[in-house]
Amino acid sequence: MSTNLNMVFESPLAGVHHNGHISIQDYTKKHRWGLRGKGAAEALRTQGWDLPEQPNRLVSSNNETLVMALSQREFWLLDPENDALAVAMDEDFITDAYPLFCQDSHAWLVLKGHQTSALMAKLCGVDLRPETFKIGDVAQTQMALINCIIARHDLAGDDVFSLFVDQSFAEYALEALLDARQEFL
Amino acid sequence: MKRLKNAHFGLWIDSSQTKQFTFEGKPVQGLEGDSVASALLANDQWLQSRSFKYHRPRGPLTLCGYDANTLVQTPITPNLLADRLPAEDHLAVTAQNYTGSLYFDLSRLLDWFGRFLPVGFYYKAFFKPRGIWSWWEPIVRKAAGLGTSNLSVKAPYNDKTYTFADVAVIGAGPAGLNAALLAATAGAQVTLIEQEPHLGGSMNYHAFDGDFGSTKRERDALVAAVEAHHNIHVLRSSTCNAWFGDHYLPIVQKSRLIKLRAKQTILTTGSSEQHVVFRNNDLPGVVMCSALDRLMRLYGTVPSAPVVVLAGNDLAYQTAFSSQDAGANVEGIVDLRLHGHNTDLVAEAKRRNIPLYQGCGVYEAKTGWFNHRLSQVDVYQLDKTGDATEKLASLDCGILAMSAGFMPSYQLACQAGAVLSYDDTTSQFQLSNLPKGMHLAGSVNSVFSLNLVAADGRNAARQALKNLGLEPASDNSESEDVNCTQQVNHQWPFLKHPKGREFVDFDEDLQIKDIVNATRMGYRDIQLVKRFSTVGMGPSQGRHSALPTARLVAKTTNRTVHETGVTTARPPLMPEPLGLLAGRRFHPLRRTPLHHRHLALGAQMMPTGSWQRPAYYGDPPQRAACIQTEVTAVRKGAGIIDVSTLGGIELRGPDAAEFMNRLYTFGFVKQPIGKTRYAVLTNEQGVVADDGVAARLGEHHYYVTATTSGVDQVYRDMLRWSVQWRLDLDIANVTSAFSAVNVAGPLSRQVLERAGCSVDLSSDSFPYLAYREAMVAGIPARMMRVGFVGELAYELHVPSPLIGDLWDRLLIAGEDIEIRPFGVEAQRLLRLEKGHIIVGQDTDGMTQPNEVSLGWAIARKKPFFVGSKSVDILSKSPLERQLVGFELDASSSQPKEGHLVIRAGDIVGSVTSCEYSPTLNKIIGLAYVHPQDSTPGKTIVIRTDGAVHVDARVASMPFYDPDNARQAL
Amino acid sequence: MKIMICPLNGPRNISEFVYGGQVKAMPDPQSVSDVEWAKYVFYEKNDIGVVHEWWLHSPSSYWFIAERHNASDEIIRTYPADELFQHRIEFTSNEGET
Repeated sequence: MSTNLNMVFESPLAGVHHNGHISIQDYTKKHRWGLRGKGAAEALRTQGWDLPEQPNRLVSSNNETLVMALSQREFWLLDPENDALAVAMDEDFITDAYPLFCQDSHAWLVLKGHQTSALMAKLCGVDLRPETFKIGDVAQTQMALINCIIARHDLAGDDVFSLFVDQSFAEYALEALLDARQEFL
Repeated sequence: MKRLKNAHFGLWIDSSQTKQFTFEGKPVQGLEGDSVASALLANDQWLQSRSFKYHRPRGPLTLCGYDANTLVQTPITPNLLADRLPAEDHLAVTAQNYTGSLYFDLSRLLDWFGRFLPVGFYYKAFFKPRGIWSWWEPIVRKAAGLGTSNLSVKAPYNDKTYTFADVAVIGAGPAGLNAALLAATAGAQVTLIEQEPHLGGSMNYHAFDGDFGSTKRERDALVAAVEAHHNIHVLRSSTCNAWFGDHYLPIVQKSRLIKLRAKQTILTTGSSEQHVVFRNNDLPGVVMCSALDRLMRLYGTVPSAPVVVLAGNDLAYQTAFSSQDAGANVEGIVDLRLHGHNTDLVAEAKRRNIPLYQGCGVYEAKTGWFNHRLSQVDVYQLDKTGDATEKLASLDCGILAMSAGFMPSYQLACQAGAVLSYDDTTSQFQLSNLPKGMHLAGSVNSVFSLNLVAADGRNAARQALKNLGLEPASDNSESEDVNCTQQVNHQWPFLKHPKGREFVDFDEDLQIKDIVNATRMGYRDIQLVKRFSTVGMGPSQGRHSALPTARLVAKTTNRTVHETGVTTARPPLMPEPLGLLAGRRFHPLRRTPLHHRHLALGAQMMPTGSWQRPAYYGDPPQRAACIQTEVTAVRKGAGIIDVSTLGGIELRGPDAAEFMNRLYTFGFVKQPIGKTRYAVLTNEQGVVADDGVAARLGEHHYYVTATTSGVDQVYRDMLRWSVQWRLDLDIANVTSAFSAVNVAGPLSRQVLERAGCSVDLSSDSFPYLAYREAMVAGIPARMMRVGFVGELAYELHVPSPLIGDLWDRLLIAGEDIEIRPFGVEAQRLLRLEKGHIIVGQDTDGMTQPNEVSLGWAIARKKPFFVGSKSVDILSKSPLERQLVGFELDASSSQPKEGHLVIRAGDIVGSVTSCEYSPTLNKIIGLAYVHPQDSTPGKTIVIRTDGAVHVDARVASMPFYDPDNARQAL
Repeated sequence: MKIMICPLNGPRNISEFVYGGQVKAMPDPQSVSDVEWAKYVFYEKNDIGVVHEWWLHSPSSYWFIAERHNASDEIIRTYPADELFQHRIEFTSNEGET
C-alpha cells in the first residue's frame, strides 16, 4: 500500500536550517529507503545499484543517491535531492530482502562547515577527524547519549556529515548540536 | 620585595601590565603572568591560608599547586589553589578555614590544645554513645571544613570534548619536550599536556649544572621546535587527572574536560620535591627549593629577608647560588649530609662567601608572636643516625628553602597498575609493571641530569613508536644509554623535637608522633596507618607525606621502606571541580510527533521513562476535574490518546510464526491472519517480562506491540534468541517508525466513520480483537480493535511522519460529538477499572504468570517457549502471593503504590496500583496478598501513610463492566 | 574507559556496549531435570579464567561473543555469534502444537 502523502508528511524538526560557520539542516523529509536480509545485496545489485565494498561505508550511485551499508546485509539508500513522495507500509516483501522503515523511524540532519568534526567531538566518542574518518565512512555510534548513525560524504560539492537519529530524539539531538555549536559561531 | 625582569629572572611576568585584585578585602597589585600566590608574595604577604585541623598559619610551599597551603576562595568558588589561580583584575580572593580573621584566627587555639586532639581522636571521641555523632558533626565540620560553597551561584557552563592522539605526552619538561619532538618527527600525532601555562618544566627555573643561561637556551630551542611542529598538539594549563583503561585520559582544562584517547602514553610527569621534617617546618617562609627558584625565576620576586638553604642533595646548592645571583642575602647552606659532598659546589659556596654547615640540620624554625612568618632557624649538628646533638647557630632569616629529595610523580602510573618500589640503599624509586603502551622518562623515572633526562625522553618516544609501527627519523633511531647515578634523596630527613610540631603531612596537620602512635596502636600496614591517621588523604594526596610516612612506619616497625610500600594512588590526581564532572547536561528526552500539538491543547507533560507524555489536558489547579472530564468522555462519548510511545516490533519471514511461538507464552502458529492475540513474554526464569498485542498481518508477518519501557530489552532478547536458533526471519524495532493513537469510547466508531475509513467498521465485519489495514482520513493505518480502557476502541498505527495529520483530522471528525484527548492519568484509571495489569508496575522481578492470573495466556501443549520450563517448575509449588483487586469506600484513607499488605503482623505483599474511581465512587487498586486472602469478599489490611492500617475488601475483577460487553460493542 | 572491538563496528568505547551474560548451552527443556535447569538459569562460571560472554553493540543492535579473562579483565577475542551458532535449533515434543 502506498500513496502520495508528501503534503502531510511532517518532520519533528519542521525542515529547520540553521546557518553559520557550521550549518545544520533538516533533511528528514528527503527520500530514503532500505533493504535488509541475506538477499538484500543481491536484490540491490540486480536493480543496478552500486554497493559499498564493506559495512559502515557509503558510496554514491545512480545520480546522487547514496548507498549506505550498515552491515553485510543491511543497506540504506539516501536520496538528498528528492522529497519523500510516497510512504510505503511495506507489507509486501520478498524473503531474504525486507524493506526497512528508515524514512519514518529516523530524522536526518546534515552538518556542513569547516569545524564540524570539532563540534562533533563535543558529543561523540568516535574519532571523526577528517584524517581518520574519511569521505564515505559511516559510524553507528552514540551522540549526546543517544544512538546515531554518522556518515561523512559529499553533498553537492560540500564535505558534510549526515546524522540519523531516532525521530523521537530529533529535537533533543538538535538542541545538543546547537548548544555544542555556540563556540563555533 | 623587589621584582626583577631580565633574561634570567621574572620570565613569566610582564611588568608593563598590572593586575589589581583584592585579598581579604585589601587591594593587591600583581603583574600579568602572576598567580594570586606569587602576587601576594611580591607584596610580602606570606600568610595565605590556615591549616585544616590546628588552624596554623600557612603560606606557599611548592608554588606550583602541589600543596594545600594556598587554598583560597572567590565569591563563587571554594578551594582554589592560589598558586594555580591567575591574578586577574577585579578578582576578590579570601583565605578560608578560619574563625574571625585570617590574622587572628580564634580557632588557632586548637593548636595549643592539640595534645587533646590525638590522631584517631574523631573515631574515638564522637561515636559513643551511639548516635552522638549527629550532634557533634555540624560543629566538627564547621571547625574542620574547607571553603564555603556559595549555593546561590548559577552553575557556569562546563563542557566536555573528546580528542585523539597516537601518543600522549604528560608533562612538558625536558623529557616530555624531547619525547614529543622525536615521536612527532617520526609521524606520530602527539598531544603534549602541561599543567603550567608555559612549557619547559624545571628548565624554566632550575639552573642545571649551575648554568641557567645554557638551561634557558636549551629550553627555548626545544619549546620553539615543539610549538612549530604541526604533529604536536599542545595543551597548556591542563592537568591529566587520571589514567583509565586503554589510555583514556581525562584532562582538566579550565571549564572543559578533555577526554583524550591515546594509543601510547609517555609519562614525563616529573617529581615532587620533598620536605625536611623538623619543628615548625610549616611556618610561612619555609618552602621547597624549587618554590624559591620559581619565585625568582618565573615571577622575578627576590626575597628582601635573608635566605637559608637546607640541603639534602646537590641540587639545593643551585637554589642558594641563584638566590645570591638575584640579589638575595644568603645566610647559609645547611647540608644534612655527613659526607659525600660535591667538592665543586662546596668550593663555589666558599667563593660566594656563603657559610656552609655540613652534617647539620634545622632543629626548629621560629617566629615572632603573631608574626605568622619565619624569622629564625636553629642549626644543630647531627650524629650518625641523623639525630640533632648540639646547637651550632641561630640564623635570622625570612625564607628557608629545603630539599630532602624528590618523589616521582608516580600517581598516574600506579593508577594504571604500576608498582612503585624503593631501594633502601640508594633511596631511589623505581616504577615497574607498567601497562602495555605506557612509558616513563625523566625524573619520574629517577633520572635527574639534564642530558640524560632528554635522552630518556627520546628513548621513551622510540619505544612508543615501535609499538605504533613507526620508525624514528634515521639520525635518531638508536636507543641512548641512560644511567643516572645522581643521588637526590636524603635517606633520613627527620629531626624529632620534644615539643613536636614536625609536620609530616601539612594538609592534615600530622606530626611525627601521630604516625608513630598509629603504628604503636597496632596499625603496621601502611594502608591502615593512612586510614587511621588520615595521612595522605588531604587535597595534595600524599605528594609530600607518602615518603616520610613510609619511612617512619618502616623504622618503627623494623622494616625497610621497600617492605612498607606506599598507599594506593587513585584518581583524581588533583581536586576536580564537580561542575566539570557534570559537564554539559545531557538529558535525552523523547517526544512523540504529536508533542507540540499536546502542548497547544494545554497538556501537562509528565516523564514516563525517557518519554514526555501528556498527563492530562488543562490547568494544574483543575487537575482532578480535567482527568474526570477525560474519563467521562471515554466512558460516555469518545476520547483519543497518543500511544506512540508503545513499542512495536515487526517480525517477517518464513519462521515468523515459529519465532512468536518460541518467545511468547501463547500459541501463535495457528493464529489467523487479521486477528490479534494478547502476548505475554516470560524470561528464562519464568518471570513475566513484558506483554503486548500480536497482530498477524500475513502468513509470514507479525506486528507485535511491547511496553514503552520494555521494548528495547524485548527487541534485544529477540535478536539474541534469533542468532542462537538461526531461524529464518527479520526482526525490526519499529517503535519510532510507527506512531499510534487509540480512539476509545462508545462513539469511537462514529469518529472514524466521519473521518473516512476504507474498511467496514461494523462489529460483524471488524470485531473485537480483529486487525485491519485501511486508509483512515486518507492516511494508511494498521488498525487493531483492542481496548486497554475497556470500551469500544480502535488503535491506529501509522507511519510516524503522518500521525500529525491523522490526529488533526480525527479531532475535526469528532468535534460534534466532543471527542477529547486524554492523558496518561485518565488512562491509568480507566485500565485499573478494567483490572488490566501494567507489566513493570503491577509486576516485579519475581512475578510469575500464575501470581497475576495469567495462567490462561500460557499454552501448555506447545513444545517450548522461553520461560516454559521454569513456569512448569514454579507451577508445582503453591503460590506465595497473588495479585488481586481490592476496593475501599471513597471516604477511606487512600493507599499509595508501595504501601504494604499486612497479615497477622507479617508483610505479605504490597499495593501496586491505587486510584479513586469517580465512575464507581470507590477507591480501587491492585495488591499482592496471601493466596488464602485472594478470593473476593476477603479482607486485607493495608498499612497506609502514618502507619494507619485500613481494611480493604478483595473485589472480583474487573471492577468495571464485569461482562466485558462494552469493549466488544 | 576500556575499548572493546566490535566485529561489525571496530574498536569503540565500552560504554557503547551492553553485557548480555555468559554464553551457556541450553539443556533440552523436555528431558532436563528441574535441578539441572535451575543451574542453567541461575549459575554462572565463577572460577578465574577465560569466560565466553554475550555483548551487544547497542547503536547497531549487534550481538557478538567476547572471550574475556575475568581476573585481568583483558578482552582476548571478539567474534560474530554465528561462529558458535551455526545450525538451526529445533524444539520438539510428542504433544500437538496449538
